[in-house]
Amino acid sequence: MENFFDKIVELFTTPEYIDSLLHGFLLTIEIAFFAVLIGFLLGLLIALIETGKSKWFAPLRFICRVYVTIIRGTPMALQLFIMFFVIFAIRDFPQIVTAILAFAFNSAAYSSEIIRGGILSVDVGQTEAGLALGLSPLTVFHKIVFPQAIKNIIPSLGNEVITVIKETAIVSMVGMYDLNMAAKDIGSGQNMASYVVPMFVAALFYLAVVYLITFVIKRVEKHMRRSDARA
Amino acid sequence: MPERRSVITVRGLKKAFGDNKVLTGIDFDLFEGEKVVVLGPSGSGKSTFLRCINRLEEPTAGEICFEDIAIDDKNIQEMRQKIGMVFQHFNLISNLTVMENLTLAPVKLKRMTLDEAERKARGLLKHIGLLAKSDSFPASLSGGQKQRVAIVRALMMEPKVLLFDEPTSALDPESIGDVLSLIHEVVDNGMTTIIVTHEMNFAKEIASRVVFIDGGKIVEEGTPSGFFSHPKTPRVKEFLEKVL
Repeated sequence: MENFFDKIVELFTTPEYIDSLLHGFLLTIEIAFFAVLIGFLLGLLIALIETGKSKWFAPLRFICRVYVTIIRGTPMALQLFIMFFVIFAIRDFPQIVTAILAFAFNSAAYSSEIIRGGILSVDVGQTEAGLALGLSPLTVFHKIVFPQAIKNIIPSLGNEVITVIKETAIVSMVGMYDLNMAAKDIGSGQNMASYVVPMFVAALFYLAVVYLITFVIKRVEKHMRRSDARA
Repeated sequence: MPERRSVITVRGLKKAFGDNKVLTGIDFDLFEGEKVVVLGPSGSGKSTFLRCINRLEEPTAGEICFEDIAIDDKNIQEMRQKIGMVFQHFNLISNLTVMENLTLAPVKLKRMTLDEAERKARGLLKHIGLLAKSDSFPASLSGGQKQRVAIVRALMMEPKVLLFDEPTSALDPESIGDVLSLIHEVVDNGMTTIIVTHEMNFAKEIASRVVFIDGGKIVEEGTPSGFFSHPKTPRVKEFLEKVL
């Protein structure tokens, strides 16, 4: 046990180790942040196409359906491999961009379903009230439907963000130096010669980020629910 | 007789939801200053008729004109600004405060500045005794309060016509009176209206003309006194015997 704490101190005080860990942590956060952001925007676009009434959308709707089905029906690790070894198998193409896009495309499929559900959950009377006043469909969506939908979307979207953060750990499979990879690297034979401590610390890092996000989402949710029935 | 100006003209209006033919051919004129009450049994197509006028339902066939201009996909937004609507379930925008519900459309559609809209809204809210609720969200209002706010929201746009779709059907008996007297007042101020309702006494009191719809068609129409005391068709006789 003493050894365990010594090793923790050693990990945090040896510049080589802590630098590796923070470097990996930063990469994890970068990939997750941009993947979630792009995934949300892409997911929003897909959700808009799928809930849109216009008949011009019909072919686009079909493409979106196929896209969502494929992404949700295949493993994330396989999608990552396809992105790295097939689609972006280009010399000197930045790995981080490939990784971000892989996770963004994956997250978009899940986000689109979440957003679509949120939009459909808004009472149709709200839309009708806006239209009957002469507002454009775009204004109705922007001022009425979306603000109400987002309240229902936030909790599930929070889940999706957490999933993406943890799922990015598989980039170590294509040799990227993320938090997961850093833990393995530090613990391997020629370094610390103990997997337990670096992996324990890496787990703490993941846990801390997830906990922080959960906390922020709870606050946002509470703020957004202020228009709900509570006289 | 002075020449009367037609505000809404409906010709050959049909509406089907799949195989379900709800409206089977309606011809109707609404003249300026008229207060038309639409009566009929449940499922007769009254609400669908009203909702076709401002195209919340897309008609299957037929033409609807507002002041002799056919309403089409291009001018629908502009037309809706002149045709106010009050819904059975109020449909106040739940993420906006009472004040924002009133000012959203006139400001967004550049009818007034925010200042002007808020001044006008305060005046209307004060009139219906709900000025204190300006910054409340709709969820904290009672049904009757919501419907009165919904009525003044429609008035904010200064429409030429106001459509009421069963405005008291979702209310408790106590609030019905408040809402009806507000509608009465709006109508007395000269608003041209079509009201779909089940409130027979109110219909008698307020209508300048009664239209009876059954089976997706106008079965009978006339002055309220004629309609209620001397119905011409057996279908209306039967209906009135049941409801009065």
